[in-house]
Amino acid sequence: MSAKEFGDYIINVDGIGKTFTNGVVALKDFSTNIRRSEVVVLIGPSGSGKSTFLRCLNGLEEIDTGTITIDGIPLDDNKKNRLEIRKEVGMVFQHFNLFPHLTVLRNITLAQMLVRKRTKNDAQDEAMQLLKKVGISDKVDAFPSQLSGGQQQRVAIARALAMKPKVMMFDEATSALDPEMIGEVLEVMKDLAIEGMTMVVVTHEMGFAREVSDWVIFMEDGMKVEEGTADHFFTEPKMDRTKLFLSQIL
Amino acid sequence: MLNSTYRFVKRMHIFDISAYLFLMVGGLFLLIKGAEDQGYYWQWFRIPKYLYQIDEGRFIAGPILKGLKITLNLTWISLILTYIIGLVTALMRLSNSLLARGIARVYLEITRNTPLLVQIFFMYFVVAPILDIDRFFAGVLALSLFEGSYASEIYRSGIVAVNKGQWEASYTLGLSTYQNYRYIILPQAIRRILPPLTSQAVSLIKDSSLVSVIAIYEMTMQANEIASETFLVFEIFFTIAAIYLALTITLSQIVAYFEKRYRVVS
Repeated sequence: MSAKEFGDYIINVDGIGKTFTNGVVALKDFSTNIRRSEVVVLIGPSGSGKSTFLRCLNGLEEIDTGTITIDGIPLDDNKKNRLEIRKEVGMVFQHFNLFPHLTVLRNITLAQMLVRKRTKNDAQDEAMQLLKKVGISDKVDAFPSQLSGGQQQRVAIARALAMKPKVMMFDEATSALDPEMIGEVLEVMKDLAIEGMTMVVVTHEMGFAREVSDWVIFMEDGMKVEEGTADHFFTEPKMDRTKLFLSQIL
Repeated sequence: MLNSTYRFVKRMHIFDISAYLFLMVGGLFLLIKGAEDQGYYWQWFRIPKYLYQIDEGRFIAGPILKGLKITLNLTWISLILTYIIGLVTALMRLSNSLLARGIARVYLEITRNTPLLVQIFFMYFVVAPILDIDRFFAGVLALSLFEGSYASEIYRSGIVAVNKGQWEASYTLGLSTYQNYRYIILPQAIRRILPPLTSQAVSLIKDSSLVSVIAIYEMTMQANEIASETFLVFEIFFTIAAIYLALTITLSQIVAYFEKRYRVVS
């Protein structure tokens, strides 16, 4: 992936900290900058703060200290800024979170019409195109419960993409899937990366991290332990903790 | 082996049914016996004219049917208000505003911890003169405020039961709080709470009989009048009980149909 061209920094995270109300420290003085078209993979043991970091990026979790700026917009108490960031950052969840009472088509068109103010026709055209892209254009009228896990996750990706986000976040998008369905979802994610989407990915799929990512961050206890290009990270990790983790997982 | 099990189950059913019939017949027998022992003289033949009369081929509603009409009016207006008050209160309790939560809290504590009868009197003697409303609307207001507090808890439980992931998904898609409730949360919550909301409507129908105390001529009030004039106590009250039963069962059946039709699998 070395031939890839990166743009300016789109995500600036400076010294953020987060402690949950039960006293668990999820993030400690965490900083990172992400460029346009970059694919950043966060790995680390469970409870290391990877998911919390993602959830802070779009305001699903409040940060206690530090600043987050996305495409020049600060994530602060200003509601307008917040809405702008929610629109520009798409998110894919571990458990898909499709709307069970709406058809696949409605799942994808709803936010386009309500938030992006697109007409019904435009929204449906967009939805059809995206469904074709993720390979399930024959399921438009199905309800989520009628789809397999892999299909549901691909719909969820299409739903997020329909908002034309500048950044896509994946929070363990394949962890809840049956093994035989992981490939189809990773394939869609890989295509997105090739198209130049800026992606922040929390995953346990080391194959994906190695092949697709431009930058890998290894986290533990809410802190960055080590980071680097995928090549560097998987072939010559410096820290003992990283080596240990990789030896356990690979 | 299988055959004998099958026969055993079948026998059980027969046992169940005969026990049921025995209880029913026994209950009815005791009732008639009790009435007879009191020297009660059943006069069912006198009942129809209080329901309706046919005069020269024209249908004339009797006092019970007139009362039924008022009961129905009371109920449907109160029901709509109940559902609105319940929803608004639930949203207030779940909101971030301390003021809204406080108001909802006080309202719930007062309405749920005082007798409905007292609330009806309070509404009629205190609130109605201030707001300048007639007794019918005083009754409607008392009923809907009372039932609304219970409905609000039903709404709240339904809303809270919607998976957290649904909130998160609609948040990340940029939906406003209103849009989130309107398109994502409430459609799912209401499908879940349809059965308890129906029982709330059933309670409302039954509780509507209490407004007879402020001289609203609904069905129970009419029945009271007739009974005190004619001493047909059992006949009249059995008749209106049957009508209440027919109303509530019909309602439950309609909702059961809709519930089946709009079920969501999540």
